[in-house]
Amino acid sequence: MEKIEIIINDNGTITERTIKERNLKAEGEVLDALTADVTRKNHNVMQIPGWGMAHANVGLTDTIWSIPIDRIPLKARFRVINSVLVPMFASMTDLEMPVVWKAPKEVRLVFVVRTERNDDCVVVGGNWLFAFNKDNNGYRLPLPNLHDECSICTGEFDGTYDSAQECVIASLEQFNKSKWNSDLMTTVEQSQKFFRFKPTNETFDTLPIQAADWTTLCEKVSTATMDRVIL
Amino acid sequence: MKKITVEYGVDSINKQVGSGFTIGDLQEDDAIKGALGFGDNTKALINGIEQDRKTVIPDGATVRIETAANTKAVA
Repeated sequence: MEKIEIIINDNGTITERTIKERNLKAEGEVLDALTADVTRKNHNVMQIPGWGMAHANVGLTDTIWSIPIDRIPLKARFRVINSVLVPMFASMTDLEMPVVWKAPKEVRLVFVVRTERNDDCVVVGGNWLFAFNKDNNGYRLPLPNLHDECSICTGEFDGTYDSAQECVIASLEQFNKSKWNSDLMTTVEQSQKFFRFKPTNETFDTLPIQAADWTTLCEKVSTATMDRVIL
Repeated sequence: MKKITVEYGVDSINKQVGSGFTIGDLQEDDAIKGALGFGDNTKALINGIEQDRKTVIPDGATVRIETAANTKAVA
């Protein structure tokens, strides 16, 4: 196909530009090279029991699974300060217990799992926890066990399975039972404003975040993995 | 002077900088850090390739800032 464009230049001269197009017979490896960085987004790929739907961002070498979650299980040490239960991640003496923090709707949490196919099995390539605001900016929550780029220090667990679904389920099980210690803690002040609970007779109710804008208690992040998250 | 674009997350800014402005200068520029909200632990990419701090940013370039991984603290 041939297309002719007539261009009127700023200085009044006229240029003719001829554009020729033809389809190339590209081999597979050429297409692979050209599409190496291209990923494909698929919503609602599989159901994760107890958590909800997982979305997939499929690349040539890996898949990034995004699971929107509405809670964070916090197995950590806590203390009651002014009638409010707050985490004491670095403490060695306060009572350790499992408390579930329920995210307010303005904090959009996404648990992320990267899986890679390895011969006849699928391997967990990492876990991340991101919080997004209404403008789709990503943030690192004021939690220990989270690296600066929001990857989770999960501790050791078996990351080799027959399917990606098993990898995602195993990652969430590890997330559910892991202890939150102070390994990557910078300051507990933000954590205690973010994760607050009201002790009741039988359980602990999540209290509102103690800040007009929750993102002020977090650190804004931007990573290649985050760019592939599906909200 | 030259014009560059800096991206961090879904936010971006355009900025006029001096001709010798480097990646390191960008990563330490408090005004840009404040505007885009990135901290000290970052890496910078141009066209998807991570850049050295000493690299002079070309005129018209788009620099993507990403949060770098940190290492586990020693107890």
